Amino acid sequence: MHVVHDHSKLATDVLQQLEQLDFEFVTAGYSEAVARNGLLSSDITIFIYAAQSQLAPQLRKLFQQAREDDFEADLNDCLIITDDARQLGRWNDDRRKFFVDVVLWPEPIGILKTRIQSLEHANSLRAELTQTRHSLAWHATRIDREHQLVEHIFRNALSRNYLEYQHIRTYLTPVSKFNGDLCLVAPGPIGNIYVFMADFTGHGLAPATGALPLSQAFFAMADRGVSVAEMVTEFNFRLNRLLPDDMFCAGILLELSANGERVTFWNGGMPPAVLFNDAGEILDRMPAQHMALGVLDDDDFDSRVTTFRAPLNSNIALYTDGVIELLGHKMEFLGSDTLEQLLQRFSAPADFPKLVGELEHFRGTQPLHDDLSLAVLSCCPTGLDELKQPNDDTAMPFTLTIDLSSNQLRELDPVNHVLNAIGTLPRLRNHRTTIYLLLAEAYNNALEHGLLRLDSSIKQAPEGFMTYYQLRAERLSALDEGKIRIHVNFIAERGLLEFTVTDTGSGWDTERVITSNNMNHGRGLDLLRQLTTQLKWEQNGREVYFSYQL
Amino acid sequence: MALHRQFSNDGKELIIAIKGKFDFNLVQEFRQAYNNIGEERPTVIIDLRETEYLDSSALGMLLNMRKSLGNSVRGIHIINCRPEVRSILDISRFDKLFTIE
Repeated sequence: MHVVHDHSKLATDVLQQLEQLDFEFVTAGYSEAVARNGLLSSDITIFIYAAQSQLAPQLRKLFQQAREDDFEADLNDCLIITDDARQLGRWNDDRRKFFVDVVLWPEPIGILKTRIQSLEHANSLRAELTQTRHSLAWHATRIDREHQLVEHIFRNALSRNYLEYQHIRTYLTPVSKFNGDLCLVAPGPIGNIYVFMADFTGHGLAPATGALPLSQAFFAMADRGVSVAEMVTEFNFRLNRLLPDDMFCAGILLELSANGERVTFWNGGMPPAVLFNDAGEILDRMPAQHMALGVLDDDDFDSRVTTFRAPLNSNIALYTDGVIELLGHKMEFLGSDTLEQLLQRFSAPADFPKLVGELEHFRGTQPLHDDLSLAVLSCCPTGLDELKQPNDDTAMPFTLTIDLSSNQLRELDPVNHVLNAIGTLPRLRNHRTTIYLLLAEAYNNALEHGLLRLDSSIKQAPEGFMTYYQLRAERLSALDEGKIRIHVNFIAERGLLEFTVTDTGSGWDTERVITSNNMNHGRGLDLLRQLTTQLKWEQNGREVYFSYQL
Repeated sequence: MALHRQFSNDGKELIIAIKGKFDFNLVQEFRQAYNNIGEERPTVIIDLRETEYLDSSALGMLLNMRKSLGNSVRGIHIINCRPEVRSILDISRFDKLFTIE
């Protein structure tokens, strides 16, 4: 507590009484107070002046200056003690930045103490309030910053979302900045397309967080062309570990084949998707057959899907319950019947904006209560298989020769090794399936017939396949002599791959086999014949040569 | 797991998916996959979406399956073939024996 006084008789009286009341204070004169800007302190200040010392104008100037200063310093609250009754009312307008109380002296003993105590109380409350305000402002800034960061992360995580796919129409509206609904679209590698719509319990940032691992998994698996059953198993696996017990995620995953006909879906806890045609007929509903994702353990999880054929010109509407629980301006829910009526009325793809318009009209000015997602997919050829990666023309010629001893033949999978070595080369990558087939046929032929002396006619018995491959395994594990050489030559400028596979077996009657037309075991040979050029045998069938034109 | 086998929700389809390499290493597993198909005459769906490689032994296994199942199934469909896989099936004229989508 500071006391600024004018050394008058009045001041002496007041100071004496303050001492008696056990207040601790520091005193100063007026000129000193002006010099140090005496109002700057976190404590309270008492000003004492007698009428005859004429200090009222100077004090007012001090207050004025403090009021005009722009800075956000903590100004202390003031108590003025004076015997100048005429000036009393003039302090009233000085309360904007600080509180000023006035006491007309003499004051009955005891009242001074109460006044000072209330002032101290008000002062500490105000200090607390200021501090709270500062800390709130700090938190608000921090949350803003964090939201920006999270938004950025979401934008990146969902940047691959293929919502602009030409045969899907979406209406996605979150309640808050972050969406607890998820609508993901991604093309697969075989011209197929995946659509995943999910609804986490609750809305806002917390459920949206679960969208991150889910979308990462979705896009990665769509790239690989994983099946619907396997995808939902992975989603469930991830969410089950990630989400707290009271949180889960309803979801419907749908795959449409490249020709736009075959629909495979898994629905866990989502409203039934609606199959309807362009003429506005509802053809079918795709109800939930399973629990939501993130509830069941792996062992209890049921990944069984449903498949059907989508008729020509049909569409599938997927939606979250936010759509049917949309609250209208007449305080009624939209309901699934009304939604279906709307789908029937605006069934043509071009009418989707009108459908959205109807939904918005229904809602009017009612605030949203839940995230809202609606997507309509047209079942037509996706046109996505044309998006194949361009052929890489750069090529490097090479020659590869591999000599395999019986030990290596027993223990290695040479076809696999050769394929790994050359199947990823730029020019060859797009041919790796055929290269594998050619290598496998030539190598297996050399091994099975050349070295292991297996007779293909075994395969014709009812369980012949099994017997044949059992025998293959047995003889291979007992193989202690014989070699196979695999030679691959790539003539880059002609795009020609040459293969030579040689074994050290006893050879065979090439004429007989080449001309035979046995359906069940000449198949490998037939494939070689059709896929390659210059197929020929040397050394009594111990060496086969063929070339493959890329 | 190179082979995944599952009935659809309504039990009308048996879906067998083969991953990576479809060759004689799967001979036993593939045989077992269509062992218990029940009395309902389901359609067997061979899903080759993740089949990157196959050789003549795989073709043999498919033919064996066809022979073994006969009329106990509604049909056998081979779906989601990658282009190269598709052309191998076409060369072997599998389109005459199976429904290839």
